[in-house]
Amino acid sequence: MSRRPPKGEYIETDTGNKVARKATLVGTQNIMLGGKTVIQPEVMIRGDLARSVPPTSSSGGAPANNTAVAIGRYCFLSRGCVLRPAGRLYKGVFTYMPLRMNDHVFVGPGSVIQAASIGSHVHIGARVVVGELAIIKDYVRILDDSIVPPNMVIPSFSIVAGQPARVIGEVPEGGHEAFELRDLYKTVGNNPQPAPS
Amino acid sequence: MAPLTPYTYIQCPCSDVSPLSRSNDPNSPSTAGADDEERTFDPRAPRSNFSLYPLEYLLYCEDCHQIRCPRCVAEEIVTYYCPNCLFEVPSSNIKSEGNRCTRSCFQCPICIGPLSVASIDSQPDPNLLAAPDQAQSGTNILICSYCNWSSTEIGITFSKSNGIHAQLAKIRNGGAPRLTAKEHKEKRKEEAAQSRLAGASSPESEQNLDVETQFANLKSFYQGQLAESSSGGNGLSSLGDLGFASPNSLSRIMSIYTGGSLHDKRSRSRVGTMREALDSDEGLQLADLDESAAISKLQSEGYEATISTDQLTEQPPRLEDAHLHGRTRFTSELRPIPYLLRTKRSKRCPVCRHIISKPEAKVATTRFRIRLVAGSYIPTITIRPLNVPGGASPTSPPDALVPLQPAQFLLTFRNPIFETVKVTLATPSKTPGRFPSKVTVLCPQFEIDANTDVWDEALNKDDTDKDRRRRRGDENNNGGNGNGNGNGNGNGNQPEAGKIWERGRNWVSIVVEVVPASLRLDLLASTANLAGGEGIDAGPLREDEDILEIPMFVRVEWEVEGGGDEVGSAPGKDKEATEKRELAYWSVIGLGRVGQS
Amino acid sequence: MSKRHSIVPPISQAGPKPPVQLSSSLTIADSAVLTGSHPIAIHGETVIHPRARIESLCGRVTIGRRCIVHERATLGAVGVSGRVTENAVTLGDYVTIEVGAAIQAGETVIGDGTTVGVQAKVGAGAVVGKHCTLTPHTEIAAGEVIPDYTVIYSNGMRRTDRRGVTELRNKAQARQIEVLRRMIPSNPAKFA
Repeated sequence: MSRRPPKGEYIETDTGNKVARKATLVGTQNIMLGGKTVIQPEVMIRGDLARSVPPTSSSGGAPANNTAVAIGRYCFLSRGCVLRPAGRLYKGVFTYMPLRMNDHVFVGPGSVIQAASIGSHVHIGARVVVGELAIIKDYVRILDDSIVPPNMVIPSFSIVAGQPARVIGEVPEGGHEAFELRDLYKTVGNNPQPAPS
Repeated sequence: MAPLTPYTYIQCPCSDVSPLSRSNDPNSPSTAGADDEERTFDPRAPRSNFSLYPLEYLLYCEDCHQIRCPRCVAEEIVTYYCPNCLFEVPSSNIKSEGNRCTRSCFQCPICIGPLSVASIDSQPDPNLLAAPDQAQSGTNILICSYCNWSSTEIGITFSKSNGIHAQLAKIRNGGAPRLTAKEHKEKRKEEAAQSRLAGASSPESEQNLDVETQFANLKSFYQGQLAESSSGGNGLSSLGDLGFASPNSLSRIMSIYTGGSLHDKRSRSRVGTMREALDSDEGLQLADLDESAAISKLQSEGYEATISTDQLTEQPPRLEDAHLHGRTRFTSELRPIPYLLRTKRSKRCPVCRHIISKPEAKVATTRFRIRLVAGSYIPTITIRPLNVPGGASPTSPPDALVPLQPAQFLLTFRNPIFETVKVTLATPSKTPGRFPSKVTVLCPQFEIDANTDVWDEALNKDDTDKDRRRRRGDENNNGGNGNGNGNGNGNGNQPEAGKIWERGRNWVSIVVEVVPASLRLDLLASTANLAGGEGIDAGPLREDEDILEIPMFVRVEWEVEGGGDEVGSAPGKDKEATEKRELAYWSVIGLGRVGQS
Repeated sequence: MSKRHSIVPPISQAGPKPPVQLSSSLTIADSAVLTGSHPIAIHGETVIHPRARIESLCGRVTIGRRCIVHERATLGAVGVSGRVTENAVTLGDYVTIEVGAAIQAGETVIGDGTTVGVQAKVGAGAVVGKHCTLTPHTEIAAGEVIPDYTVIYSNGMRRTDRRGVTELRNKAQARQIEVLRRMIPSNPAKFA
């Protein structure tokens, strides 16, 4: 991260990530950003909730493979959303499981994500709650205010809504391009460009 | 009322016969086409619901050069798979095992959330026990981590943590085993033998027949009856023997016309012996009309023990408990719902049978072998309100339109194909319906430059910026470069008739002016009186009648080279070979709600 | 990325610093917010996540043993009336307040073992029984009384939890707290 940027609203990294100064990233050493990802103000990412290794290495020295939250390229985390790894009891031991997010994932404002994995080209609306260890595949659209229950698997090309969420429709063949976030990426940052009309 | 984001729907020609027939010969517009243009399409007509689609939902047949919608394409299933475990199910299994996942994927009967397998004796956390490798034996339950339902509520536990579907098929609610038809028969044989030994009759409870067993019993019973009656080899034989030319049929017909001749007596008497099923062995099931158990349960447990209609309809078919099929009333009678399988489907053009969409067969991949979507052939139309003084403010949420006050909207047409297209628009001057709004398209005819490679845009960033600025004050159709002050401060930016508002690499914006109608019903009545019209509907405002929708006829014309394949190569080298193409369709532009004063 | 372990922009410490009564076995993140004028008592082995917010402007806030208060949860938010009561919010033992949940002040009680889901809201004066589950986005009106073992799901549907696994749940909570205590650097001194 460049330490001497012009004091804009965002910190822009070498790989093109735009991280708002007003975002809360806890445990940055466990958060991986793929590049060209936008993190808006008031976003919170809990990188500190890493997979707990058995207490032998409790010194805090981060092993290489201790990623808690991995985010791909061209993801867009809207204002006020929370990304946190989900915990579970595995063989009698409580541990956090990493949260993996692929490319072109849009997370709407105020959403709380505790999934295990999110594929590419996923649109998560506003105020959505994605429950613990849910698995979301590619090209999925989750409508506003949905509650995705824990452990749910959402197959590709699903449109999902409701409390609890269920698949309510299929993404049509012509709707794939709408998931692209390249243009949206350009519209934020310290010198944003207007959206192409 | 919720604000409405502007939308565009496009009418698929499948609902209308005339454009379809015209498409056969795009070069010579027929008279039918001319008629068609004169008739205004009414987006509010009840039939329109079935033909209007957002652009993303439409496909395009390259052979017919026509739009195809989800309603007219023919679908073929490529792959069946479970939406939960994402395992592919061979189509042969669909016939034998049905259309639900037969592994361990279940939905909660209460809230339809996913159920996970949890072990309840060894390791504790009820929420997070989904680990499949643990708890191979012991007591397992299905649990919903959303509403906390668990299969213990219906008295079901599993001895193994995998193959839940098979285990569940053998357990009734409450934990009693459920037998298959074959096991039933064997059990009954045993029981019969035992009762013979004991010298007492112990008929099995007749309620215990499930649908499959009952059907099997009925079938064998009536087959036996038919065989018996036809064994005489005369007139009324089983239907299977009724060949048209068989002597049996002949004798039967003879017997009908001769009206009770001598040789029929025997068969008649035999018919009389054909009886109906009498006990459960023969498939007879007495209706259980005793509801006292249900009543006492209601009294003791109350409303909470009953289920909702939604929960009832989500229940899978209950072959095992015939008396509960479609009649489940209590939560204790619910069963976990095995996930319905999902499919990947390919789509064919209904006219030429060419495949226009075909996904890869594998469940894990999202690629398509063929995907001819309308969005890559016809221009996309985006709408935003035009605020002349303040410049463009594309993101502000649209307010309600003010009645009788002109409002301007910017329609942007983006050309997806690699040829320059000529667009002609036509709208009625007043929108159809009870409250006609006035519509004026300021520039109904324009050309959009060809879509070039995305790389050109990326490489010539400056050029595209210039493109963006080719706007306002430079409304000249073939105008060259931008005039420098690209900010558009609003000086001299009045929309002008016949002029394009703004254009870019492969897009053009034009202005549409509307004067929204007043929604006042008293005015409606008075104008009706003035016109002397009768039967004017002065009823209250109907749902969504306040939405201003413009029917717009879009005609797109472009030229392709004879080969057709070399799109995008330099034009002009082979002028004779170019072919004129035309595509015309109705679309509906939804601008917003008209405010009620 | 830099060597910094967190980017936590400062939050305006609005209001006075409340008198606190913190257990020594408590885990409270540095960026949690305690504010108000009435006492805040937090009992043993409870975990307060970063950016959780506890307000005692309208009365005393008491949090039982082995509770987990997740990030962005708000305890003791000033209700519509804004009236001061002796106890603003009382949490029993083994209570989980999930991400972004809000418990309004005003003699509000959350019983032992209850989970308040993500972004759920509990109105002022509501009394939620023991071992209840409020699924995400559930809203409990002010003054409502929820019996023990109630599950509120799907936008207000109710049912009774018959799993009978409270012991197991408590054990799991204890395990989770063990892990969290190692992960979240605790700084009770900041609030004392």
